[in-house]
Amino acid sequence: MLKQKLKIITLGTCLVISLTLLVTVSTKAETESPSALTQDISDEACLACHDTPGLQKTLPSGEVLYLSIDRVTYQTSIHGELGYACVQCHQDITGFPHPEMTANTLREFTMKLYTSCQKCHTDKYETTLDSTHNKALAGGNLNAAVCTDCHGAHNVGPPDVPRSRIPQTCERCHSEIYNLYEESVHGSALIGEGNPDVPTCTDCHGAHHIEGPSTGPFHLFSPQICARCHADESLMQRYGISTQVFDTYVSDFHGTTVVLFQKIAPDQETNKPVCVDCHGVHDIRFTDDPESTVIKKNLLVTCQKCHPEATTNFPSAWLSHYRPSIEHAPLVYFVNLFYRILIPTTIGGMLIFVVIDAGHRILNRREHGNE
Amino acid sequence: MSDTRKYLRFTVPDRIEHWVQMASFTTLAITGLVQKYATSGLPQKIIELLGGVDNVRIIHHIAAIVMMLGVVYHLGSAGYKFYVRRSLPAMLPSVNDVRAAWQTLLYNLDRIKNKPQQGRYTFEEKFEYWAFVWGTLVMGITGFMMWNPIATTKILPGEYIPAAKAAHGGEALLAVLAILVWHLYNVHIKHLNKSMFTGYLTEKEMLEEHPLELADFKAGRRVRPLDPRALKKRKRVFFPIYGAIAGILLVSIYFFVNFEETAITTVLPAENVVVYAPLTPTPLPTPIPTRTPLPTVSNTWDGGLADLFANRCEACHGATTAISGLNLSTYEGAISGGEKGPVILPGDPDDSLIVIVQSAGNHPGQLSGEELALVRQWIEDGAPEK
Repeated sequence: MLKQKLKIITLGTCLVISLTLLVTVSTKAETESPSALTQDISDEACLACHDTPGLQKTLPSGEVLYLSIDRVTYQTSIHGELGYACVQCHQDITGFPHPEMTANTLREFTMKLYTSCQKCHTDKYETTLDSTHNKALAGGNLNAAVCTDCHGAHNVGPPDVPRSRIPQTCERCHSEIYNLYEESVHGSALIGEGNPDVPTCTDCHGAHHIEGPSTGPFHLFSPQICARCHADESLMQRYGISTQVFDTYVSDFHGTTVVLFQKIAPDQETNKPVCVDCHGVHDIRFTDDPESTVIKKNLLVTCQKCHPEATTNFPSAWLSHYRPSIEHAPLVYFVNLFYRILIPTTIGGMLIFVVIDAGHRILNRREHGNE
Repeated sequence: MSDTRKYLRFTVPDRIEHWVQMASFTTLAITGLVQKYATSGLPQKIIELLGGVDNVRIIHHIAAIVMMLGVVYHLGSAGYKFYVRRSLPAMLPSVNDVRAAWQTLLYNLDRIKNKPQQGRYTFEEKFEYWAFVWGTLVMGITGFMMWNPIATTKILPGEYIPAAKAAHGGEALLAVLAILVWHLYNVHIKHLNKSMFTGYLTEKEMLEEHPLELADFKAGRRVRPLDPRALKKRKRVFFPIYGAIAGILLVSIYFFVNFEETAITTVLPAENVVVYAPLTPTPLPTPIPTRTPLPTVSNTWDGGLADLFANRCEACHGATTAISGLNLSTYEGAISGGEKGPVILPGDPDDSLIVIVQSAGNHPGQLSGEELALVRQWIEDGAPEK
């Protein structure tokens, strides 16, 4: 009984306050910044209550929904700095009391609110429509990331400042992958050394349009993602890495097949290996790392993933991204050299016979014609 | 002058053999070269037309099997002609062929008057035949190595596989160019030799190309009389031996094709990792604001409670707002209470409305437990002003 009474009292008082606020605030907004604020309720009206730390509501799921907003956090966010008002995102809030909150869980609450972003960021939102996150969401997986999961809500800021913020954002949901990445040649350079040259999550996967990496098309296309950096002469020079890695891959069995698959039927699933199948995906090591999957000691095991019956000699059938030369793969080099000599000499010799024979016949015919 | 006399050059089985090998060679050449030059535009178009590189490889392998079967047949037919029918081994090269080649050059350059006289097989034909033998051997061996790299590397160093690929591609290019230059010119351009279609050459053609064989025909030396009994005997020797050899070869071809399962056919995951593994506790979209420490210096209105109420309550219960008539902006207002009577009963926090309302929770402007405790203590201490 007491509770109900209190409720009525609270509702009543809130109605009064919101009405008074409405009157004072609406006139204020119009005079101060009419362009930015198309609504009637200023942030001050909201922060009057929500600035109070410890505001919270327990949802039916037992989870706690925190209702307090740190004034400084919001004001230093990109939206706060640009002068956007609370109710521009919280559009259902038109006064007090607020409409009844029907979310049963925190996630449900997020699902209701994140749709605010698309009103202004329509282009970004539309690029997310084909993303793996959105597909998962459409499939009923509420764990799939939505705008605010990556960008935050009240504290939106540049997502790549510092650059290590990017993997740390993905880490929230993909912590195991982050743990692998952190130890990899790329991740350790970014997270440990702040090296801006190395790729992080979004460089390979994209951001809003992020594609499911376990699909056939992504698999087939992935060598070209690696090649963006690894075929870049100036970038690779800094680390003494060969830029022939892509070309030498393409000229071998695996790469030729993958390139053809990608050109002709990019949607197919294939077990033909791409870069990551041998080098690792998120845990790529430098080639002098004893844990690298592609150093001589470990290569056979790597080959055996797809060629289970392979034995000791098998891995050297792959020329380790070297072009055949006298130092690397001399046998291949000399076979090539042999044919580079044999073909012109044989065909050249044949042509000598053919041209002389043809010349003789033509001259003969002319003479006979003259007779 | 009409020339009606014809001389048998290729029997029907010979012609069938030629066309089968021609078909397999052409198929191998197309499906092979498009793989050799797979990064170029036209090969990719052809591969696409053939239904992708997987199909191209299957076709290439089938054509290779046909060619290998053709070789097994050819060993039989050559062996039969040579051993059973006692034909002369006319295809064997000799010094005469080198001389004929040289003399042909000199003749065409008008250095000598007469064309060299050649027999059943000219030096051009022998060259092509033995080039085909060499090519088939190289392609067969290197093809086996690429088809069965695991078996190969059990015996040979791994580098032999890319070397085999290099040789296979080089030899292929050589063979195709040789056919385009040598075969096309000598058989189709120089003059259209129809014997592989009709089986026969005219007397004029025989005179120009194979004058010595023509002389043999005319002298009756071309068809050698065979003793039927000896023929039968030789057949009895030949067929079992050839049968055994052919059997071994056919089994070899079977192994060639099915020797090993080079690679798995399933699609492996690129990485074994749990993709969705959220951090615990799962981070919230906005971090929970941290409390600013209470500015309390002493347990009195002036010593901190005034600031606390100003901070937390004044938006609603201030001097101008005073919802429910409650004004918490002054000590007097706080003590006098609102429409529902006093909210602070000095010395009795449990019955003070401010404590009751705040303890129930969900009050807009909810005090934290810490703050509420402070208010309680203050009321319990008699809610002093100073």
